[in-house]
Amino acid sequence: MRPVVLLPAICLLATGASVSHAQMQRRGLCEPPAVTPPGFAFYFTRAVYSDYARWGRPSWATDCPEADQHFVFGLKRLTNIDAFGLQHMVSLEDSALRNYPFLYAVEVGRMALTDTEAEGLRNYLLAGGFLVVDDFWGTREWANFAGEMERVLPEYPIVELPMDHPLLDTFYQIDTVLQVPNVRQGRWGGRTWEQDGYVPHLRGILDGEGRLLVLISWNSDLGDAWEWADDPYYPILYSNYAYRLGVNLVLYGMTH
Amino acid sequence: MAERLFELLFKYRPLVFIRGDLVFASPVPLGVVLGAGVVALALAAIAYHRRHATLRGRDRAVLLTLRVGVIALLVFCLSAPALRLSTVVPQQNVLGILVDDSRSMRVADQDGETRGTVAARAFAPDGAVMRALAERFRVRVFRFSESLERADSVGGLDFSGRRTDLAAALAAARRELSTVPLAGLVVVSDGADNAGGTLAEPLLALAADRIPVHTVGIGDERLDPDVELTRASVPRSVLQGAAVVAELSVRATGFGGRTVPLIVEDEGRIVSQTEIRLPDGGEPAIVRAHFVTSDPGPRRLRFSIPVQDGELLAENNTTEALLVVERRVERMLYFEGEPRFEVKFLRRAVADDDRLEVVTLLRTAEDKFLRLGVEDSTELQAGFPRTREELFRYRGLILGSVEASFFTHDQLQMLADFVSVRGGGLLALGGRHAFGAGGWTETPLADVLPVVVEPVATSDTGRFFAEVKVEPVPTSLEHPVLQLRSTPEASAARWDSLPALSLVNPVREAKPGASVLLTGTGPGGPYIVLAAQRYGRGRAIALTPQDSWIWQMHADIPLEDQTHETFWRQLLRYLVSDVPQPLTASLSADRVEPGQALTITAEVADSGYVRLNGAVVHATIVDPAGASQDVPLRWTVRRDGEYQATWTPSMPGIHEVRIAASQGNQPLGEWTTYVEAGDVGAEYFGAGLQEGTLRRVAEETGGRYYTPATLRTLPEDVSFTESGATVVEYRDLWDMPILLLLLVGLLSTEWSLRRRWGLA
Repeated sequence: MRPVVLLPAICLLATGASVSHAQMQRRGLCEPPAVTPPGFAFYFTRAVYSDYARWGRPSWATDCPEADQHFVFGLKRLTNIDAFGLQHMVSLEDSALRNYPFLYAVEVGRMALTDTEAEGLRNYLLAGGFLVVDDFWGTREWANFAGEMERVLPEYPIVELPMDHPLLDTFYQIDTVLQVPNVRQGRWGGRTWEQDGYVPHLRGILDGEGRLLVLISWNSDLGDAWEWADDPYYPILYSNYAYRLGVNLVLYGMTH
Repeated sequence: MAERLFELLFKYRPLVFIRGDLVFASPVPLGVVLGAGVVALALAAIAYHRRHATLRGRDRAVLLTLRVGVIALLVFCLSAPALRLSTVVPQQNVLGILVDDSRSMRVADQDGETRGTVAARAFAPDGAVMRALAERFRVRVFRFSESLERADSVGGLDFSGRRTDLAAALAAARRELSTVPLAGLVVVSDGADNAGGTLAEPLLALAADRIPVHTVGIGDERLDPDVELTRASVPRSVLQGAAVVAELSVRATGFGGRTVPLIVEDEGRIVSQTEIRLPDGGEPAIVRAHFVTSDPGPRRLRFSIPVQDGELLAENNTTEALLVVERRVERMLYFEGEPRFEVKFLRRAVADDDRLEVVTLLRTAEDKFLRLGVEDSTELQAGFPRTREELFRYRGLILGSVEASFFTHDQLQMLADFVSVRGGGLLALGGRHAFGAGGWTETPLADVLPVVVEPVATSDTGRFFAEVKVEPVPTSLEHPVLQLRSTPEASAARWDSLPALSLVNPVREAKPGASVLLTGTGPGGPYIVLAAQRYGRGRAIALTPQDSWIWQMHADIPLEDQTHETFWRQLLRYLVSDVPQPLTASLSADRVEPGQALTITAEVADSGYVRLNGAVVHATIVDPAGASQDVPLRWTVRRDGEYQATWTPSMPGIHEVRIAASQGNQPLGEWTTYVEAGDVGAEYFGAGLQEGTLRRVAEETGGRYYTPATLRTLPEDVSFTESGATVVEYRDLWDMPILLLLLVGLLSTEWSLRRRWGLA
């Protein structure tokens, strides 16, 4: 290999390593805070679910707690929601799940629900809960997630949300669905997709009366955009979009 | 008995003394008789003083007193006391006998005989009473029920009148007999007046003419044994599909403690059957029947209790009421000051109720609003309404977690006027900006709310939070809002099993006129959870928890459970029930007899609910045959915006009454209601003897009250009258047996004392 080719490659690796290092540095422990006071109107609740065994932190904990804290901080600044400012997570098996009608789940491409979790999520959604799914990519992860949803809500299909859906103008007017890249790709400014997830989608599962039970943000990573919104190298375009969509999702979930 | 004893001692009956004036008819001047008496007293005193000086002073005083009594009696007798009475000239006066000819006289509570039979026998033409009356008077017999008519005799009555109008009968008799010398009237009745007329006017007129009205009460005050559904109270109109609680007054004698079914029929279809326990002793008790309305339009509801063995009256076990089931959509505004899940779940709870429309205005950020359920793009475009016209379009207003300082002073006053002037329903929800925490303490709305809005101490910077177990107040368990299940017992069980809610507003005190429906027990409690009160023309409700949605989402709530939906639908329906429109109207009764006059009253206001006196108001009445009749309503002058007309239905059946108002070319509104003409069976309710009414008639006109047992003195009593052609008659009193007894008694006592003390 010629030195003129090697040098950029080394720089690239170094940059990637430094980003990875930075990511590791920012990642705090995804644990509940010492005290979660009751009485807030809104808790940004992260779904704790089982996944296929792998190393490191579980899928549900991706970007936690920074993404949660950053998003809630923005949410409180942009709206007048009385929201709890720290991370909050509940297992799908926990009956307390029903006390939090808004639920956020990430990396569902590796979701592997137990029967109890599937039943808990089903009851949650049919009782009136609203699930937002984020940060999973490509056909393989989609197939896994769709299979899990088939277990949870077999009677309702997953559909593409039209651009005139009320969710897209609940607070901000959103005219296009952007693909939000992860932090690494966002900083580099290169491709925005992962695996074969080239096109972002907003899909949903609606009940028999047309009520949106699950909002699926596929081939996009809102969580990273929230978490890295304060990073000068992460494009503001994506953070801006992620916050706008996130605020709309929360408000839609609290009103519809 | 007492009267007979009185007559034995005093020679005449008490009435003679009441009617007569005491006079002294001595041929010698009264002064001479009194002077002689004084001299005799003086001589007696001197004699006792001289001849019986050895007696103790007390003994002498006793003897002297006895002697004084004797002399006083003699002086009284020598004065020729007499009663001066005004009595009728025989055959020169007319006596009117008014006999109740209504159906209540068919009640067989007189030892197996009907009241009518007893009346007919007591006033039989050849009976003692009528013969004695005929000797003194020219007797004219009348029958009365709805109206007064001449009758040949009491025996000829069939007692079939469907209503008793005593006031009208007395007034008509006075008119009818105004051209003849009238000695008095005799009313023979059970006194069960059910026409609703006021007696004061005819009684005053009769008293002014000095025409005594004697009353003869026939019947028992309490029917025993009997069960009576006295009164059914249902809302005038309800929304289709609404849960209705009918209140019924039940009176029973002789069946105390027995459990019987209370059946509700809607146009012949049984819609509810409830087991009730009968009260005893004839005292009324309130029972409630619960049912859900189905078909729209005027509904004839029939409430009944099966006839029990041996009941005196079967017809009063059934009563009817007219209920208008409306198909209109109740539009209300829900203004929420901050995003919270209550918005989602409240809207979801009533989404399937096509009678309720909740327009939501949610403040999502400062000066940014989300509108949901608006009619068009202009509705609430500028945020919360700024004019009365804009706000008063809604029939209900739900106020969420929003601070008082959000509103201008005019808007705050407008909120209060929404309830008091417009007559709308206001529901205040708990939240971090509600009640005291929202600075509502000294606002006009604080007066409207059914709870005391306590200020939050400025030093109190912490968030108040309490989880409370919600419990219905026992006395409110049958309130329509709290009917979570088909029976009160099942509802109570459901309330008991509901999960706790959270409060961020510590509301502990209700206003004096408010009804507390739900309370919450928890740390620092109890708290008020749900309270309601009327305020002005409208209604205000406070629901203090911030998360009623827990009753939908909680893990203990089964997915198919409808508690949350039922609660909210009933609460919102109750909130807007009876909310007036710019034009509202009412009828004096919803069920009348054909020929019975009905008053139509309309209240007219403009879109800002300012009452109008210059409107053109008329009613179009469509009878059961489809023919319509126009009746104009006129301003009453008594109250701003109030118009009235009187109309009398002529045929049986349900009549539609459509009222329209306009001013110039501007229509102000329309109102449709219904009235049923038919046999309302009024005679079977409250059919016991109304002795108080009959006594009042007699006492206020100078007459007397009789029963069949005391009737024998009636002919003579009636003779003592100042009305008609009369003569003055004197009746001696000096020969009253009581005087002789007193004289003998005094002399005997004196003689025996004198013997005891050795003076004789």
